[in-house]
Amino acid sequence: MPFNDHYVIIGNGPAGNHAARTLRKKDKDAKITIISDERVPYYYKPKLTNFIADEIAKEDLMVNFLNSYKAKDIRIRLGQEVERIDSESKTLFLQHMEKINYSKLIIASGSRARVLPAMSRYANHLKFVTSYTDVMAVKEEIRKAKDFFIFGGDLVGFKFLRLLNSMGKTVTILIYPNAFWPYNLTDNMLAQITESLSKFKVDVIVKDDISIIDDKNGLYRVKTQKGIEKNVDMVFSFNGLIPNIDFAKGSGVDIDHGILVNEYLKTNVDSIYACGSCAQIYNPSIKSYTTSIGWPNAVVQGEVAAFNLLGDHKIIESVGRKYFDLEGVKIKTIWWEDIDDEV
Amino acid sequence: MKKNDLYSKEEKLFQDKNKIYSAQSVKQIVYSTDVRDFGQVAKSIPCQDACPAKTNIPGYIRAVFEKRHGRAYELNRSANILPGVLGHICSRPCESACRHGEPDNGVSVGICHLKRSCSDLKSGSHRIIEGLYAPTEKKVAVIGSGPAGLAAAHDLSILGHKVVIFEGLEKPGGMLMYGIPEFRLPRDLLMLEIKNILRLGIQLKTNKAIGVDISLDLLKNEYDAVVVATGCVSPRKLNIAGEDLKNIYNGLDFMKAVNEGQKPLVGDKVIVIGAGFTAVDCARSAIRLGASDVSINIRKTIEYMRIDETEKYEAQFEGIKTVSLIQPSKIIGNGNKVIAVEFQRTRMEKTDTPPYRVSIPIENSQFLVPTDSVIAALGQTPDEAVVSKDLDGLDGVFAAGDFATGSSDVISAIAGGRKSARAIDEYLIGEKRKQTVVRLENHETTDRQRSYDFIGKVEMNTIDMEERLSKATNEVETGYNDDQAHEEAKRCYLCNLEYEIDPLICIYCSACIDVAPKDCIKMIESVPVNSDGTYGIYEETDDWNNVVSIAIDNARCIRCGQCLAVCPMDCISVTKTELIEIDT
Ligand SMILES: Cc1cc2nc3c(=O)[nH]c(=O)nc-3n(C[C@H](O)[C@H](O)[C@H](O)COP(=O)(O)OP(=O)(O)OC[C@H]3O[C@@H](n4cnc5c(N)ncnc54)[C@H](O)[C@@H]3O)c2cc1C
Ligand SMILES: Cc1cc2nc3c(=O)[nH]c(=O)nc-3n(C[C@H](O)[C@H](O)[C@H](O)COP(=O)(O)OP(=O)(O)OC[C@H]3O[C@@H](n4cnc5c(N)ncnc54)[C@H](O)[C@@H]3O)c2cc1C
Ligand code: SF4
Ligand code: SF4
Ligand code: SF4
Repeated sequence: MPFNDHYVIIGNGPAGNHAARTLRKKDKDAKITIISDERVPYYYKPKLTNFIADEIAKEDLMVNFLNSYKAKDIRIRLGQEVERIDSESKTLFLQHMEKINYSKLIIASGSRARVLPAMSRYANHLKFVTSYTDVMAVKEEIRKAKDFFIFGGDLVGFKFLRLLNSMGKTVTILIYPNAFWPYNLTDNMLAQITESLSKFKVDVIVKDDISIIDDKNGLYRVKTQKGIEKNVDMVFSFNGLIPNIDFAKGSGVDIDHGILVNEYLKTNVDSIYACGSCAQIYNPSIKSYTTSIGWPNAVVQGEVAAFNLLGDHKIIESVGRKYFDLEGVKIKTIWWEDIDDEV
Repeated sequence: MKKNDLYSKEEKLFQDKNKIYSAQSVKQIVYSTDVRDFGQVAKSIPCQDACPAKTNIPGYIRAVFEKRHGRAYELNRSANILPGVLGHICSRPCESACRHGEPDNGVSVGICHLKRSCSDLKSGSHRIIEGLYAPTEKKVAVIGSGPAGLAAAHDLSILGHKVVIFEGLEKPGGMLMYGIPEFRLPRDLLMLEIKNILRLGIQLKTNKAIGVDISLDLLKNEYDAVVVATGCVSPRKLNIAGEDLKNIYNGLDFMKAVNEGQKPLVGDKVIVIGAGFTAVDCARSAIRLGASDVSINIRKTIEYMRIDETEKYEAQFEGIKTVSLIQPSKIIGNGNKVIAVEFQRTRMEKTDTPPYRVSIPIENSQFLVPTDSVIAALGQTPDEAVVSKDLDGLDGVFAAGDFATGSSDVISAIAGGRKSARAIDEYLIGEKRKQTVVRLENHETTDRQRSYDFIGKVEMNTIDMEERLSKATNEVETGYNDDQAHEEAKRCYLCNLEYEIDPLICIYCSACIDVAPKDCIKMIESVPVNSDGTYGIYEETDDWNNVVSIAIDNARCIRCGQCLAVCPMDCISVTKTELIEIDT
């Protein structure tokens, strides 16, 4: 039997899917498998907020349907979590005790909500909007609820705030200057954002911190350190995203904040690459490392990782510099843009 | 208890010359020195195997579960001498090894928090237990009263020798007193456990530095043996320009000053350099001295920090940033005061010899970070100016703890101290008086419920940020209450219970395999033997023609008892295994 490569991709987001497509374009014979712990095909994360508000249906959220994987001869394993990588034997261990062998591996496991250490003890009272699974768990509850407390306030957080407002909900937001991870908001920016938020029906709290969140008769009582107290139906945390990398620990792949890769998106282990928001990438022009968040970067990186895995030496270039409008404050970013549809 | 498996086990054991039988054998208790049994215990009980002092972890967790906190404390104390102290600050190698933390099993058991619980929750009238030997009239000098010195002194004293500790500083405890900050280790607890050691009749002479106040030669002449346990007290230097400016501290001196109640000037912005305990303690102390922007700066990735998860977490909670993959190249001053540190980016690189991964500076990647002070916490080496590291050929002089091994941790220092005590005893008496054996006892299956396996880890109670800052010595962690300890203790699988299938009775029906929650029961074709005589990893097969036996892999078994419940032949037995010390 001829030996065909088996390229395995962990992650079914933009990075993983663009890697898979590129691999298929360049290698017609290889076996290509995408593994995702979520139970839905590839979807637009940026549209999750519209989906919550019922502005779009589930079909409009999808980038791919199951048959599009089939058309490209890409195998998809949904609802299966990778638990461990053995890079010596090139084996992935899945949570349900199955093992998968790969000849080359691309890690595109994306990111998850950052829970501030100070908040972790209240973690079971907090809700997040980071994935389809998260959203399905809270969608109905959001529709019924009236009073909301948001703390943090990253880009998604402000998007969500506008959405709640349009749904006629009452919202309190406690803005953390470092919620916009990995960047910190300056006092000046904070003032401008507060000013700009005054057009919405929202209570803005700054320069304060949560002291207690507790659960009383189905309501949450949120108390800040300066003594402000709110009783709300739901508490949301928006403090940026951090790389999803726990499963790669102990695999021999260097890990820092994210999976450490060089400018070619290759890890220190020969047959393993990483891309998208799980990767921490060396950038030779600034001689430093960056973790990238944002859809366009994930797309480009997925493609570059696939090319390099096949023997190329493409250097990852950041997608053109963009200014993002955060409630009137222009934040320079090279990693985020308003996503409408897949290009 | 089932008799058929017992019989087969005993029959097997009787053929074995390495087993020692006691009168208790009739109660189905066997003491073994067979290397295979030691190998099996190591594989079966990963937490205990990872503990340098070989603490009987499942044993004491079971006692906590039964709310016998005094018993749990003594099980600890018999192995590690300072259970209360360790329950606060141990580096927890056991938790990294705990089976509950393996993929798909959840999170490690809070072994250390439970250790603390037995110290906190034992009765006020608790009695400590010591098995004292007759006096020998031999005299031993111990230099240094850190954990290694204290452990050596304790064991030597138990063995009947007269012990005097010489300590260069004013108070005993070594780094426990002068390194580790009070907000992690209350000093009254430390002193209580030290006094419990000194009560054996050990004389403590403080402010007596060897090499300064008294010479090693003098001690050698006056004592039958000498233990050097002087730790690592010489700070490593940064060796970069600007290191001698004002407001640049070395980590150990900084912590010493803080622990003596001084308030070193740190300013608002503090750069800590280093990746170990000292670095984190310095950073957390700086926050308590009023700094608002504190960073820990490390050369490698965060993965390589030599501290446990709780420490990482608490530092983050207190707002301390960790900046990885950088190293300082120069310190910039204005006049004699530091104003900035020049850093250089690093990248990870492979080496063929340990440590296998190193960090290499990247050329021309320098950048400046402004700061008010710098704390260099790069670790310590032994102070060779006072006591030479080269003790070879010095008859009757033994080394223990960090002095012997280089900077390590408290539990390793205690294990080292105990080991040196055994060696000294043999040297003084001319024979081994104690021996470690494996105690095997037939056991009923466990009364643990499968639901216990899904209990989440009980988090430690801590004080909030305001209280932390209101008084720098306020203890951050406040311990479990009785119910929390009981709940956390439920989580332990009790890996000291070994499940075994008797191949002579098994009918290969595979009912056990069908109910097993893990791949814990295997069809094997052979069991390789390692070069040290212990059993290796089972060789499995899918082909029934090659199956020689169905065997339980105790390295995967989570002791759920389900196999035992379904086996139609009653051929699965449970044996409680324990490492214990007996007289030879
Ligand atoms: C609500 C929201 C709104 C956003 N809006 C915008 C926007 O407007 N503009 C913009 O540019 N960016 C936006 N982003 C960010 C953008 O979605 C991400 O940067 C992008 O999705 C990253 O792509 P990725 O492929 O790296 O990872 P992800 O899209 O996060 O995909 C990771 C995949 O890995 C899987 N996975 C992870 N761990 C495992 C495991 N152990 N086993 C199996 N599978 C695993 C996950 O299930 C998932 O399929 C938004 C993000 C969110 C959450
Ligand atoms: C700031 C800090 C925090 C730490 N945190 C932890 C932690 O959380 N957990 C952990 O497990 N480990 C921790 N460690 C490491 C741990 O404290 C040491 O590994 C351990 O104390 C070593 O024990 P020892 O007995 O060998 O030496 P030491 O504890 O260093 O004791 C040596 C003793 O010898 C005395 N001495 C030295 N020279 C002479 C002389 N010439 N004459 C007489 N006496 C002398 C010293 O004064 C000292 O009392 C920490 C270390 C530091 C510095
Ligand atoms: S489950 Fe219990 S006995 Fe087993 S390794 Fe963990 S602490 Fe030790
Ligand atoms: S007790 Fe039996 S079924 Fe349960 S984990 Fe152990 S070997 Fe498997
Ligand atoms: S259930 Fe009992 S008889 Fe059946 S295979 Fe397992 S050990 Fe053997």
